[in-house]
Amino acid sequence: MGLEYVKISPGFEKYMPRDYVDLVTFGQFGKEVDVMQLGQFKELVEEHPMCAGCYMAYFIRVFYAALPKPEDTIVLGTAGCARLALSQAAVPFIYGNYGDTNAVASGLKRALSIRFPDKDKDVVVMAGDGGLMDIGFGMTMHSWFRGEKFTTIMVDNEVYGNTGGQESGMSPKGVQLKMAPTGKKFDKINAVELAQVSGCVYVAKISPTNPKKIAKVVRRAILAARKFGPTFIHAYTSCNIEYSIPTREVLQDARQREKQDFKFYEWMTDEVKEYLEEIERKEKERKKQEVRS
Amino acid sequence: MYFVAEVHEKDCQKYNCKQCVLFCPEPNCLNYKESAHTAWVWYDRCKGCEICVYVCSDLLKRDCIEMVMVKAGD
Repeated sequence: MGLEYVKISPGFEKYMPRDYVDLVTFGQFGKEVDVMQLGQFKELVEEHPMCAGCYMAYFIRVFYAALPKPEDTIVLGTAGCARLALSQAAVPFIYGNYGDTNAVASGLKRALSIRFPDKDKDVVVMAGDGGLMDIGFGMTMHSWFRGEKFTTIMVDNEVYGNTGGQESGMSPKGVQLKMAPTGKKFDKINAVELAQVSGCVYVAKISPTNPKKIAKVVRRAILAARKFGPTFIHAYTSCNIEYSIPTREVLQDARQREKQDFKFYEWMTDEVKEYLEEIERKEKERKKQEVRS
Repeated sequence: MYFVAEVHEKDCQKYNCKQCVLFCPEPNCLNYKESAHTAWVWYDRCKGCEICVYVCSDLLKRDCIEMVMVKAGD
């Protein structure tokens, strides 16, 4: 971790894999990239084994491009689809037991703040609906009650996609799945409201239809978590296999859900709002000055 | 043989839009060439999901991307 750690020692460039050299030369380390520049720099994620047209993979791609300080970030994941791509990125990744991501992240964040008291080290948990709201529910909630300062991102595909399509707490009511043929009998858990009343300082709900908006939300959640407390993002990332969405229509589905139950929603406490507005105002001024000079 | 996206660079150059690049789920698969103002596909990384075709043809009505069959080594 740290900028020195990712850079190649002088003289070793020719022995390093081409992808890694590209990553250090044309990548994100040490600078903040604009997410609208995607496709023009070497991204932190590499090729991954996620399904063709997986929208979770898309969200993860934009998430990595939006990291404010990738060299000082640790990502945690758990069993589920997301870890397939998260483990292929040039950011340290910790793979916990199923459901214990937020407990591991709590300890990790505390240790990092003792070891590096003068530096911002970001800890981000990215897990699915099963890892955070079903099996890891207790640990997720308790990390919020304790006010641990890290970001939790739920990539919600509304099903256990890895194991054949069992219903999860986040599946919509009435939906019929391969391993739940009678249809789900309960409502979808309202994770956003739970986060709000459990002590999160920044909560957002998003359907990934606009990369700029995703990047803004991810950045805000990480910056707010550095200073104030737990932050939470609920993202809709459809499973095109279990929900039988033709890959060509995956984005259309995300747009449709945005109009229905995944309308963009953002909530934060007053002090967080003030802090973020201050940071964003300074950034705008800096950019204006750069353009002028 | 497998199915990949191909950008018609001459048509793509006219628009300078980059929207397909922003919606591809694969990292560094659909890239953008600033000098030529066109998107280009790294065939080895393309899984053939057609999200870029949806963006280019269905949303923007520009029809600059087509799905083609390629053989290993192409």
